[in-house]
Amino acid sequence: MPYQRFPRVEILSIQPQEIKFILSESDTSVANTLRRIMIAEVPTLAIDLVEFHENSTVLNDEYIAHRMGLIPVRYQPAESLKGSDCSDAFLPHRECVCYEHCMRCSVEFELDITYKVTGEEDVLAPLTVTSKDLVSNNELVQPAHFLSQDEQDEAQDEGVAIVKLGPGQRLKLKAIARMGISKEHAKWCPVAVATYRFWPEIHINDEQMATLTLEQKQELVDTCPDRILELDEVTGDIRAVDNAWDICTYTEDLKFAQAAMKKRPEDDDFVTVTQSKDRFIFNVETTGAMDADEILLSAIRVLRNRLNYLAQELENLKDM
Amino acid sequence: MNAPERASSFLLDEDSGERKIVYTTDTKVTNAGTFRLNKEDHTVLNLLRMQLLRDPGVRFAGYIHPHPLINYMELKVQTNSSHTSPTEVLSNAIEDLGSETDHLLKEVQNAMENWRKENQDVLGN
Repeated sequence: MPYQRFPRVEILSIQPQEIKFILSESDTSVANTLRRIMIAEVPTLAIDLVEFHENSTVLNDEYIAHRMGLIPVRYQPAESLKGSDCSDAFLPHRECVCYEHCMRCSVEFELDITYKVTGEEDVLAPLTVTSKDLVSNNELVQPAHFLSQDEQDEAQDEGVAIVKLGPGQRLKLKAIARMGISKEHAKWCPVAVATYRFWPEIHINDEQMATLTLEQKQELVDTCPDRILELDEVTGDIRAVDNAWDICTYTEDLKFAQAAMKKRPEDDDFVTVTQSKDRFIFNVETTGAMDADEILLSAIRVLRNRLNYLAQELENLKDM
Repeated sequence: MNAPERASSFLLDEDSGERKIVYTTDTKVTNAGTFRLNKEDHTVLNLLRMQLLRDPGVRFAGYIHPHPLINYMELKVQTNSSHTSPTEVLSNAIEDLGSETDHLLKEVQNAMENWRKENQDVLGN
């Protein structure tokens, strides 16, 4: 293994719904693979089959089935299995030996809501059927209603709204959730946001900077729309602000402003901001189907398994 | 009506005997060959290509995705000498990436553990 890298990771913050971290000493191809896997190949659960027993609502069966599919379904492993994802607890339905579906490859949700009218109400407001009304047959698997308490407090409904019932209407169905990946359908996607940015490398040319007066330096600081520069009060030197990596957008404005300040057009830039080739700032937000840190760990395991599989297939190729 | 099968982008069609990797030696270029990776996409291919290019024994490595609706990738590899075959360098590249991924997993787990230790007060537990 002569050409191996040893990437480093620094965590910026972990919340159940969001993780921010820095991946360094690696390559864009690794960062992008990680991002793509988090988006498209981390296994999750989602409602895939819906059996309607009665639907007298205003929405048709297909419409409701589609809405059900998009509800995030959360698998919460038992305490002893912490750190595992749903692929440890469920079989992909195509690999399961059962006839249609079973406990090993699926989870069943029941929903039966009727808007009963007694005749004594003054006003008949519509009744909202939400994800709270889904009854799971597996206590480890529940619909994810909201990401956080704040979100819950702001919402009008108790859970994710499915359909509104008028007086006398009824919705009765059985929904079957299966494990899948979002390459098949986006409802299996565990992330709402999975992005990386390049770390900015801010280089200040001291030699060129010495040719500027204090006023010009202040002007340079003020023209940068990202505000990534500041002037040291004591020494009168320009330096990058501490959180420059977070706010930098690689704007061209700084370049143009400098060009106007130079004595000769061929002079070097005072400040150059370039994108690092081996340091990436990741930001991952979940839909609620998994915790953000779990998604990252799961994505790395998916990649590891894929590489193992490819190595094995390549071995078989040699034997042929 | 003519929608492709939902799983056709990631599940091998085993009924028709589809294999994950098919290798063909190049008939016109020396020490070169083409790997056809079925049911793969840019996720893995770009990773493999960049890792292959880090190997000084590799003269050329590149991949093509023939069409967005086609679910295989073709990876062309040429090596510098007849002593190392494209299969060998690819195998080495996958091994290196595998150990990099192992390292990454450990690194992430450590970083998370350390972050939780340092931020216990903030988390309130």
